[in-house]
Amino acid sequence: MFAIIGFELKKSLQDRGLLFWTLILPIIFTVIFISIFTSGLSGSDRQQVIVSIVSGYTIMFVFFIMISMADSFIKDQNIGMVTRIESTPLPSLFYLLGKWISYMYIVIIQILILTTFGKVIYDIPLTQPLYLIILFIFLTVMVTGLGLALSLLVKSINMGIALTQVVALGGAVLSGLWIPIDIMPAFFQKISNFLPQYWAHQAFQDAMSGTLQVADLFKTLFVLIGFSLLGFIVALFAYPNFLRRSKG
Amino acid sequence: MLSLKNLSKSYKNNVALKNVSLNISEGICFGLIGPNGAGKSTLIKIIASVIQDYSGNVQFTNNKIQIGYVPQEIALEETLSARDNLHFFGRLYGLKGAVLQKRTEEVLSEIGLTERGKEKVKTFSGGMKRRLNIGCAIIHQPRFIIMDEPTVGIDPQSRRYIFNMIEKFKSNGFTIIYASHYMEEIEQLCEEAAFMDHGKVVENGSIEHLLKKHAVPSIYVKGRMCVPDDLSQTCSKGKDGGYLITANNPLAAMERMIHFCNENSGEIERLELVKPKLEDVFFSLTGSQLRD
Repeated sequence: MFAIIGFELKKSLQDRGLLFWTLILPIIFTVIFISIFTSGLSGSDRQQVIVSIVSGYTIMFVFFIMISMADSFIKDQNIGMVTRIESTPLPSLFYLLGKWISYMYIVIIQILILTTFGKVIYDIPLTQPLYLIILFIFLTVMVTGLGLALSLLVKSINMGIALTQVVALGGAVLSGLWIPIDIMPAFFQKISNFLPQYWAHQAFQDAMSGTLQVADLFKTLFVLIGFSLLGFIVALFAYPNFLRRSKG
Repeated sequence: MLSLKNLSKSYKNNVALKNVSLNISEGICFGLIGPNGAGKSTLIKIIASVIQDYSGNVQFTNNKIQIGYVPQEIALEETLSARDNLHFFGRLYGLKGAVLQKRTEEVLSEIGLTERGKEKVKTFSGGMKRRLNIGCAIIHQPRFIIMDEPTVGIDPQSRRYIFNMIEKFKSNGFTIIYASHYMEEIEQLCEEAAFMDHGKVVENGSIEHLLKKHAVPSIYVKGRMCVPDDLSQTCSKGKDGGYLITANNPLAAMERMIHFCNENSGEIERLELVKPKLEDVFFSLTGSQLRD
């Protein structure tokens, strides 16, 4: 399994598309939107907007890892890599776990870099660092878990890109990552309660500002675990079919 | 020895293999021949443990035998180097540390890529990729190598190089299963072969036996007044205005033609014995209809 993790990480380092989606684009978005939404603001209002944007775009853009995951699985399938790996002594499940873990590394690094960027450039507060680290880890597991499910279900990379955009952008809009949730219609506010992005965003902002209560942390972690499990279980069910498709 | 007993495999309603039984001796190159959809790749994937949901039995005399599988596709990571790819497969087969390093260098030398080991695979030619594809399957020094169409789309030099590698494997006592559409390759490399069609083994045995049993020898003749009436019935047009005549006893037929020619003041410009080919066996066993 460590061979798979190492190999995937090496591959990812060569992937310029991954660098663009995970770091360059979110940084560009963050800078542009902060400059637009903070003009004319100062003091705590300005900081509140910055915290919301930095955490919101971090959460939104971690979802784009699903494109790279789908691309990697479909490519492995198309070039016969899955079949070839199946002929080695590596248990089938280790291939899946190896891929999953390697993308967890990438996402956690992405979150750390985007948060550090927010801290260095905009001096965002990181008042509850332990809570934040726990949230980072759970968000990582959740996003990559859903990515795993999507990667094994889609049959082409275009399908993967389309679904990722629905999940990432649709989820971002409905969860208040773009527009503050309070000014959204009541119906959308209700929907946001069913989306992991909303819970993660609220908890991130509170932990940054130092107002996150333990009960709220656990509530958020519970939601993130739930979606992680959902992703992993769907992936486990889809995996045999993926292997069958790969083997022709 | 590898013993395959009553192997059957279906994909939904499509029967890919039907009661395939074969014995493959150690230390030989065994050819698998058949048209598209004959079941060769399915059989290979079963032997290589890629497909596990099948009925029947696959048994190696030595239970701990290591298998190296060279897939039809170039299953390599093109954004990484040849060395990275070899390392990866070496680790999957349990090699590590100094042993892995040593084997990587040895394999790079065996496949003729020592100088290009650090370069990304995407910069390689088709032949280099094919050689690396084989290299990744032999990194763990398997005694049993399964090759599925390993020379598709490569230049003659790389093909020759791969043939030399296979000859070397054979001389080291390795067993090779070689599936190919190129019958001249099977004829050149393999001692034994099996013909497959519609998921079944329709014939198998030594190449010599297959040629004797199924390919009728023929004679090429070009000239005037040199084909007796009885032989002209099996006569068909050949190249350069000559004729091809099939005969079970070609030497006797040639002698008769010379006599006939002398008696009738004929003239023989060219008279040759045409060696039977596996391709003749292939068409005689599977027919010449398209299998799209």
